[in-house]
Amino acid sequence: MSIVIEADRLTKYYGSIQAVKNVSFKVFKGEIYALLGPNGAGKTTTIKMLSTLLKPTSGDAYIRGYSIIRDSLNVRKVIGVVPQDLTADDELTGFYNVYIQARLYGYPHGIALERAMRALEIVGLADSANRRVSSYSGGMRRRLEIAMSLVHDPEVLLLDEPTLGLDVQTRRLMWNLIRDFKKQGISMILTTHYMEEAEALADRVAIIDYGEIKAEGSPDELKRKVKGDRVYIELYSEDDAQNLQLEISKLGVDVKLDSSIVIVTAPSASDILPHIVGILAGKKIKSINIVKPNLEEVFLDITGKRLREDSFDAFKYRVFTHKIR
Amino acid sequence: MLSEIYVLYMREIKKWAGRRPVLIISLITPLFWILLFGKSFNIINVLSVEGLGVPADIAIVVVGALRSRIAQLFGTLDYFTYVASGMIVVFTLFHSVFSGASVIFDRRLGYMSRLMASPIRRESIFIAKVLATVFRVTILILFLLALSYIAGFKFKQDLSILDLVGALIVVISISVTLTSIFMLLGFLTDSHEFLFAIGNLVNMPLMFSSSALFPIDQMPDWLKAIAKLNPLTYAADLTRYFLVGRHLDEPYIILIILIAGAILTFTICMKVSVKALERT
Repeated sequence: MSIVIEADRLTKYYGSIQAVKNVSFKVFKGEIYALLGPNGAGKTTTIKMLSTLLKPTSGDAYIRGYSIIRDSLNVRKVIGVVPQDLTADDELTGFYNVYIQARLYGYPHGIALERAMRALEIVGLADSANRRVSSYSGGMRRRLEIAMSLVHDPEVLLLDEPTLGLDVQTRRLMWNLIRDFKKQGISMILTTHYMEEAEALADRVAIIDYGEIKAEGSPDELKRKVKGDRVYIELYSEDDAQNLQLEISKLGVDVKLDSSIVIVTAPSASDILPHIVGILAGKKIKSINIVKPNLEEVFLDITGKRLREDSFDAFKYRVFTHKIR
Repeated sequence: MLSEIYVLYMREIKKWAGRRPVLIISLITPLFWILLFGKSFNIINVLSVEGLGVPADIAIVVVGALRSRIAQLFGTLDYFTYVASGMIVVFTLFHSVFSGASVIFDRRLGYMSRLMASPIRRESIFIAKVLATVFRVTILILFLLALSYIAGFKFKQDLSILDLVGALIVVISISVTLTSIFMLLGFLTDSHEFLFAIGNLVNMPLMFSSSALFPIDQMPDWLKAIAKLNPLTYAADLTRYFLVGRHLDEPYIILIILIAGAILTFTICMKVSVKALERT
């Protein structure tokens, strides 16, 4: 397998704040590599450096062998970038936005027209091609961004939170698109803070937090790091939880506490559950939850915190702020 | 590189043509300035001796003297013609000073990052934007000239197509100069409020300290000194020389200086803008 992207100790400081610390990884041809982490973990900064929009403070990265620092023009020729922010021009039609991109990649008028139409067909926007972007829905805008990034048949696609704030249906559609790109041999880096997205799409996942890669591997490899299933028992007070933790720990299993939630880790939930139920008899509990190993648990294990989704819809908020500006 | 400049230029033009109400308003606004301002201040009637009981033979002499003084100062007896020819330059200024706003909005709305990730020369972004503004200004000025003609603009007797070309070169040169400077400002700041404040700040002083609205000969010395440094003075004098036939020493040397100034300013502003884009 040939290496398409290689990050070598990428580091970025914003003033005295270190946003990305010594990030190194390799992405092979046709692979989907996910950077999974919460907001502010340094995912977008990494993507911006790879797409030559930001210069690293130190370190370098090579895309198809071109250095992002010394060979940025060649890097830009082989990559497509789907940024987190919307970039299409509202005042123009979807078609014209994509057409401009094709021209900027050097295609002459006639070929640019064909390519723009084809890119819009791929993302399912052919019918709305001649409408102004200002009339597009959030999902349509996202798809248009992909068409704009795709029009020159890039070998590498950098996707920064491609499904942020999309409804379930549109998200599935996006996932299918991304899987199609993989079939065509496009190598992709995808950032996300949705663990189910990383699980569904990625060949390999890097867990990133505070600008550092904390763990890397295929979703299965990562899940194997979490030893066993988890049982979450939520109680009404922290005191109750503490008492329960003490009692369960006598069973010889690993028990942790997260305010009023007791977290039991055991090789098999079905084996331990009857014992726990015995202890719980007569106690008041709010909820009980059994969780098989997943990336969320891996993340919790490695970073000690959860990958919570935003309480507000960041994408809609951004569209809103665009409109009022 | 030419094709990327062209396509970015077409983007700006398409956006402009798509904003029809704005387009119409920007075409009409200068007309009010010229009509209401130019027509209301009628120097010939202001400096009349009629009704003052001056004997007819003396009146002829006095009026003759006044008229030759006005003709000497203004190059025409019709203030409307004087102002309209100056306004060509003033409106070039008005439209150029806010040109940087499009840079700020492209940056805020994310389009700039899309451009920055494309394999294009950064210079193309600057060049396309300046060209688009200059094109818009040129269309506006041609429209303004046509309307002025209908409203009674007195072109010089022997006006030739070369004179019109000359005036257009003046407009384009001064527009390139001003647009480059204010476009650069757009690349340097991320606040459109700042840009509009600067625009409003320089609009009036530049307009009044030039020969656009009044000849500089009767200005107090300190103002005359400022006016002589103001490129708008030379631009206005030149358009008037070409269109109205007002006397001007060494018009072609001034024209060459204006063109050279435009090229120099454009080059410097482009270089600094590209630096500003790559700073991030």
